[in-house]
Amino acid sequence: MGAFAHFLAGHFDTLRLEFWSLLVGGVANGFIYGMVAVGYTLVYGVLRLINFAHSEIFMTGGFASYFVLRAVMGTSVPSGWATFGVILVGIVVGGTAGALAATLLERVAYRTLRRRNAPKLAYLISAIGASYFLFNLAGKEFGRYNESMPQPYINHPVFTIFGAPVQLYYLVIVAAGAVMWLVLDRFVAATKLGRGIRAVAQDAETASLMGVNIDRTIAITFALGGALGGVGGFLFGLGSGVVYTMGFVPALKAFTAAVLGGIGNLRGAMIGGLILGVVESLSIAFVQAAYFDVVAFAILVLVLLVRPTGILGERLGRSA
Amino acid sequence: MSDLIFDVRNVTLRFGGVVSLNDVSLHQGRGEILAVIGPNGAGKTSLFNSLTGLYRPQEGTITFEGRNGVALSIIGKKAHRVSAAGVARTFQASRMFSALTTFENVKIGAESHRGIGVLGAMVRGPGTRRGEHESDQRTLELLSFVGLSAKANVISASLSYGDRRRLEIARGLATDPQVLLLDEPAAGTNPAEKIQLTELIRRVRDERGVSILLIEHDMKLVMSLAERLYVLNFGSVIAEGTPDEIRANPAVIEAYLGSSEQAEDRA
Amino acid sequence: MAWWRQDWIRRLVTSLAVVAVVELMTGPSGSFAAPTTGLIGSYNERVSVYGLFVGRRWMVFLVLALVFFGVWSAWLRWGPRTRASWRSTMATPREMAARRPVRWGFYLVLLVVAGFLPHLVNDPYWQSVLVEQIAVFVLLALGLNVVVGFAGLLDLGFVAFYAIGAYTTAWVTGALPTPAPFGIHLNPFWAIPVAIVFVMVAGILLGTPTLRLRGDYLAIVTLGFGEIITIFANNLYGITGGSYGSGGTSGSHPIPHFSISLGPIHYRWTLAPVPYYYLTLVFVVLFILGFSLLEHSRIGRAWTAIREDEVAAESVGINPLKYKVMAFAIGAASAGFAGVVTASQSNFIFPATFTLQLSINVLVLVIFGGMGSIPGVVAGAVVIQTVSMYLIHTPPAGFQESDLYMYIGALLIVTMIFRPAGLIPSRRRRREIILSEAGEAHADEVLTGDVA
Repeated sequence: MGAFAHFLAGHFDTLRLEFWSLLVGGVANGFIYGMVAVGYTLVYGVLRLINFAHSEIFMTGGFASYFVLRAVMGTSVPSGWATFGVILVGIVVGGTAGALAATLLERVAYRTLRRRNAPKLAYLISAIGASYFLFNLAGKEFGRYNESMPQPYINHPVFTIFGAPVQLYYLVIVAAGAVMWLVLDRFVAATKLGRGIRAVAQDAETASLMGVNIDRTIAITFALGGALGGVGGFLFGLGSGVVYTMGFVPALKAFTAAVLGGIGNLRGAMIGGLILGVVESLSIAFVQAAYFDVVAFAILVLVLLVRPTGILGERLGRSA
Repeated sequence: MSDLIFDVRNVTLRFGGVVSLNDVSLHQGRGEILAVIGPNGAGKTSLFNSLTGLYRPQEGTITFEGRNGVALSIIGKKAHRVSAAGVARTFQASRMFSALTTFENVKIGAESHRGIGVLGAMVRGPGTRRGEHESDQRTLELLSFVGLSAKANVISASLSYGDRRRLEIARGLATDPQVLLLDEPAAGTNPAEKIQLTELIRRVRDERGVSILLIEHDMKLVMSLAERLYVLNFGSVIAEGTPDEIRANPAVIEAYLGSSEQAEDRA
Repeated sequence: MAWWRQDWIRRLVTSLAVVAVVELMTGPSGSFAAPTTGLIGSYNERVSVYGLFVGRRWMVFLVLALVFFGVWSAWLRWGPRTRASWRSTMATPREMAARRPVRWGFYLVLLVVAGFLPHLVNDPYWQSVLVEQIAVFVLLALGLNVVVGFAGLLDLGFVAFYAIGAYTTAWVTGALPTPAPFGIHLNPFWAIPVAIVFVMVAGILLGTPTLRLRGDYLAIVTLGFGEIITIFANNLYGITGGSYGSGGTSGSHPIPHFSISLGPIHYRWTLAPVPYYYLTLVFVVLFILGFSLLEHSRIGRAWTAIREDEVAAESVGINPLKYKVMAFAIGAASAGFAGVVTASQSNFIFPATFTLQLSINVLVLVIFGGMGSIPGVVAGAVVIQTVSMYLIHTPPAGFQESDLYMYIGALLIVTMIFRPAGLIPSRRRRREIILSEAGEAHADEVLTGDVA
């Protein structure tokens, strides 16, 4: 008993000492999870399906921005406005690539099945197939190794919170994530297309009777989720590099975040992402690095078993 | 053994902020043909789902007295347990196992309450074979009871609406119930089928001693079949009585017939 | 109608796109350093077809696309008639095949062929493929078919049961860093029942909490479970040997081969694949018999009922959770046995064998062969594994072993789009798909959770 208490005390010491720096890292990761989770939630909202190939949209965003950054940057590290410009290019390219990939995916792996009114199992299997096809194709074309993203800045601490340094990289993630999410939230809440998405999410049949073009709305939903996922891929790649399998683990965690916040719920996705990022990060004090990925999964299982509707509850229609 | 089969007291069922059933109390005598009527959205199907364990009301009690006079509280029981206790049902939109034959559909009902042995099923010992044989006999007997013998080997999705109702009734009876809950059995059937269905429902009670609880929109059918009725409106019971009493009840005419006239106007 | 919306233009563009993707898949590989090698090389590389034709790949691609377009257009025009005549010519053989004696006769012939197979293929590579890549995968596919095909549950972590079977074998034969139970090192024959019991218990333990979940959630949870098993196997050095597997630590010894010593009969299996092939074949036949009896028993009917309409099934007294857990445990059994064979035959096991990729690989065998159809999944496993191993053994230009999963992913999509019931469809499954497409049935609706 005493030994165990000692063990716990040791871990809590780590937690106490490292708390703020773990928190900062967790929040930054959480923004990435949240952005990717939005993709799951949007697609779930309109199709009642989990898009298993979302991980590869993330990967596509990362790869596209890698190649464009490599082309525009050359060898020197930019500074000042040039840094800002390069990051913006990365975001635009990642987002566009993600949106394109998602639209294409919807066309090939989803729409053909939807036309035929196929059973739900068919969509899952087809999406899993698409995921496997895409990341292995990327592996074939670009090699099966990790390549670091060209850095648009020299990463350094910008300021400190309670002694914990906040890296420039984290600030970029948080700023990009917050802006994109706000834009998306406004888009879904206040534009005509956004209303279309909410209408389809609530009741596809009625929406189509009211004149909403279902096919187009679903394509736009995929594109929106894909754009955020693609930017997530870019931001993730900026820190961890790009590799053909880069989508798998972050996407599994983003899915956890989406379920945690209440799948189908936009704000829930972001909140779920933040909670997951922080909890996972703080768990570093308690579990060995090798088991780091197990934590998110344990949270997923727990949420699904205890409260499958998540923190904010399901349904896109009601959220905004 | 009391003579009540269902005793529902003060049941309230909510979904989020929406009250689907509001303080509903009703009872059904053993061997009675009882009907619940009311406008669309009055909570009739919610009541059925609560009685069969699919929904779990937040307040009230539902007592079902089964085979051996043992009272069973339904609330909180899983649907398959409720079925095992002796409550069978049909669905508003027929829910058959569409890719299976008529025979297989009913057989699934007939064998669902036997114990399951994986090894027995694989090795096919004498016990398993006897069980299979009994289920087959029972299925054939029920198919002839509802008049579907000729269509035993037809894929159930190709049956007509009237035949689907018969199939659902046979499948429900196969579980050897004390009471059969019928959710709008006449929906989508033609006049000739309606007459046959009325007769079949009466035979279920008369020949097999199974009590009947019925939701139905077709007033002619309800009034000719039911011995007693409850009227639901906005989740509450607003009237109870024999067909004649209900016909004369002003509250019912106001709530029910009024709204059905509106419905006709819209159509 | 705008000109680009005309059907034939759409067909032409789709044909070009499909063939362009195929060209990319079969072309040379690239890397981050040289991304154009693959992307541009796939179209620009020189090709020569037996010296008859020398040119660039894009020319081949153009010809192929036109052929594809032509066949597609022809099919749209004459397809229905061809299909009708095909149906009438096939009617008699199909009727024959439906007859029991004929069908059983056919299976008997197949069994005899399977019995002589190791003597027909003399190549040692193919003999070991027969055991390690075909027989073992047939077992895995049979097991997953119970879960996905019979019960309609998408399990993406099926590899976990295979791993548990293999590690249990290593454990009871004393090949792991963890001491064997009671210090007794068992003959792998005894590992068979132990491993099967272990995986079935694991199936029950994993299934009981998770099988309450909706189908798509179940898929993700099982996926995660498969990953976790690998993470633990990789890191628990003191128990599983970590990433070194069963042979990593000093003092460990190989997992023994099977051996029999019954009265006058003494036989020891060795590294040679053929004796393992026969042993596995016996078990494959046993599992096929057991599973097909199960399919046509009341348990099989209950699975079908749950798959088609869980609410209706529950209201006729079927306990869905119980039957789903049962499917999990029964399906796991054959995977557990496959684990025993793998462990004993290869002497050492490594966590790297038991990856998510393997789960997906087995899923493809089931989907391609035909969900719920035992002849289908066996055929699917034999065909896909043979082709895969052929490609790995004699790779065509531009092919790398790791490209295999790209083809497997593509095969999943293509099967789902063009032949969702698989190569040899199960009658029930095909009906379900047809009915669902006609808006008549709710098969696999459990996945959406849209219940009354």
